[in-house]
Amino acid sequence: MTKRIDRRVLMRALIVLVVAAVAAILVAGVGSTALAATGDATTTVTSSTLHADADPAGVEVTDAELTSEDSGSGTNRVAQNVFNGLVFGLLLALASVGLSLIYGTTGLSNFAHGEQVSLGAMLCYFFATQQPVSIPLTPWSFVIGWPLWLAAIAAIAVAGLSGWLQDRFLWSKLRKRGVKIVQQMIVSIGLSLALLNLLQWWIGPDRVRVSIAIEERHQIGPIMLGNTTAMSIGISIAVLLGVAYFLLRTRLGRATRAVSDNPALASASGIKVDGIIRLVWIMATSLAALGGILMALYDSGTKFDVGAKLLLLMFAAVTLGGLGQPFGALVGSLVIGVVVETSTLWLGPDLKYATALGILILVLLVRPQGILGRAERVG
Amino acid sequence: MDLVYDLLREAIAPTTAAFALAAIGLNFHFGLTGLLNMGQAGFMLLGMYGYAIVVREGGPIWLGILTAIACAAVFALLLGWPTLKLRGDYLAIVTIAAAEMIRYLGRSQNLNSLTGASTGIRGSDFKDSFEMLSPFPDSQVTIWVWTFHGTRSTSWWLLLVGWALVALCLLMFWRLSKSPWGRVLKGIREDEDAVRSLGKNVYSYKMQALVIGGVIGALAGIVWSLGASVQPDSMGRPTTFWIWTLLLLGGAATIFGPVLGSILFWCSLVLVKGLASMLIPSSVLSPQQLEPFSLTLVGVTLMCLVIFRPQGILGDKKELAFND
Repeated sequence: MTKRIDRRVLMRALIVLVVAAVAAILVAGVGSTALAATGDATTTVTSSTLHADADPAGVEVTDAELTSEDSGSGTNRVAQNVFNGLVFGLLLALASVGLSLIYGTTGLSNFAHGEQVSLGAMLCYFFATQQPVSIPLTPWSFVIGWPLWLAAIAAIAVAGLSGWLQDRFLWSKLRKRGVKIVQQMIVSIGLSLALLNLLQWWIGPDRVRVSIAIEERHQIGPIMLGNTTAMSIGISIAVLLGVAYFLLRTRLGRATRAVSDNPALASASGIKVDGIIRLVWIMATSLAALGGILMALYDSGTKFDVGAKLLLLMFAAVTLGGLGQPFGALVGSLVIGVVVETSTLWLGPDLKYATALGILILVLLVRPQGILGRAERVG
Repeated sequence: MDLVYDLLREAIAPTTAAFALAAIGLNFHFGLTGLLNMGQAGFMLLGMYGYAIVVREGGPIWLGILTAIACAAVFALLLGWPTLKLRGDYLAIVTIAAAEMIRYLGRSQNLNSLTGASTGIRGSDFKDSFEMLSPFPDSQVTIWVWTFHGTRSTSWWLLLVGWALVALCLLMFWRLSKSPWGRVLKGIREDEDAVRSLGKNVYSYKMQALVIGGVIGALAGIVWSLGASVQPDSMGRPTTFWIWTLLLLGGAATIFGPVLGSILFWCSLVLVKGLASMLIPSSVLSPQQLEPFSLTLVGVTLMCLVIFRPQGILGDKKELAFND
């Protein structure tokens, strides 16, 4: 990829994002006037049902409730939802950039990536909580109770280690044996099933909170913004910029993109392909863990299957942006985030993930290579 | 001794029959044609919704079954239309997404009156007309070592119907896979371009396989729901993954693979849970941890199977459906 193509590709991405946002706002604007009368009624119904099946330990706060409370104090629901969508998209991007990098360098659609997100959140809970925790198959329970920042760093480190272990003992072996991509994909499905149940076994089926602090919320213009959310936005933007810098400006990043473009050619020109792939695995799993932790703070709670629910949104984002294009994954995540959150304005909040899957199928119909992908035969 | 009885009971239970049926459907997709359908649970869910809703509203059984079949066929057509021209992993992502969409729609509050949202449809709302047809007495019946109720829920009547359906579908699979039609499908699995160059319409053949397998999946859903109830969350992605595991365990592209796989899968789940609760003290593994513990092993089994013995127990190494 030369610089010139990059710029064109970024321009195209920006245009798509703006068009999508404008369309979402227009539709929401039309929808919300009609919805304004019925809006409060439906949100109270859904929030009461949510509370009915929320487990006793967890505090379920949905965006629908937040916005309906906020609308009393003069905030704009549409602006708030678009903003929430952008935040959600940024957090989603942390996870999907890794998914896209793995796909780009190895060709594998990693179905276990969702569990990497949950793993990050669960590890952070494990290190930070004041409740007694234990390790599976051992009878002892103990309290770690580290401060949040330390717990988060430890969780990301352990998650990165899990990426290294996976590539060292599983994926690199499979690549060496020449196991086909489809077979590797089913292996990743097995891994996702194993990890999902391992996490449920370890932490339990209840909703848990990473931090018990209650977020202070301020009004800025037409939207409400909490302290933790603002910090999450800062962290995720900084990390995403860091990844972009790494990919575009450093030698290793260039090597990564070279492997992504053509592994055989990269190997012939002296790039250590296996080393690059291992680095990508470590990066992807750490980014996913960071995404999981920030998501847990943003949603003020997390659960063992949080990543499993996000996996398909990640696939939607990655496909929308173009499989294997890390910047495409970023743009795709933002679009998916905005669509998912604004869809709650006229659809029930329980259907918000379904809209993202609808987009996924639509994209494959119209433009299977995604927004940023090059047109090539994928059939 | 209880464990042996539980194992024998699990080996013929309606769930086992239902999953064997679903796996036969998947065998049409994956074993015969090489399609990566990761949404078999979606077909099952559609089948059970179609049947349960029609029967609940007072429709006859045959109409319910026809509705279930029609739903699955239409879903397969809609799903296949954009995706069958794409590469395998795209098909996997789209089918998994579509199946999840069905589940989200089914459990959505907006459709509460139709699907009963996340609580689903209670068994008593739609099982009566099926149970009235039962030739068995309305009480517990013991045959050799097995004791089941004659007509209600997990009953001899349901077992008879379920396993008869399995036998019928096996017969169909056997005849079709030996027919010229089946040979074309196997050709597509091995080398799509070669078949295309022979003048066959690959797209249409793939679509036919997708529809047939999906319809069998819908029938599996009906059998499953008659043994339990209609519950959207029981048909999530893990269910699809279990069906894959048991198909690969028994052996894809074989005739008896799905049945053997289903029996082994459910029996070993019971065995693992039984042994673990006997051997591991509950301070280390509490009763509510048994389920995730055994399902973790299922995931590991799936990984090991695909890596070390992709042809499964009955399969032939030469006849592998893993192609890019």
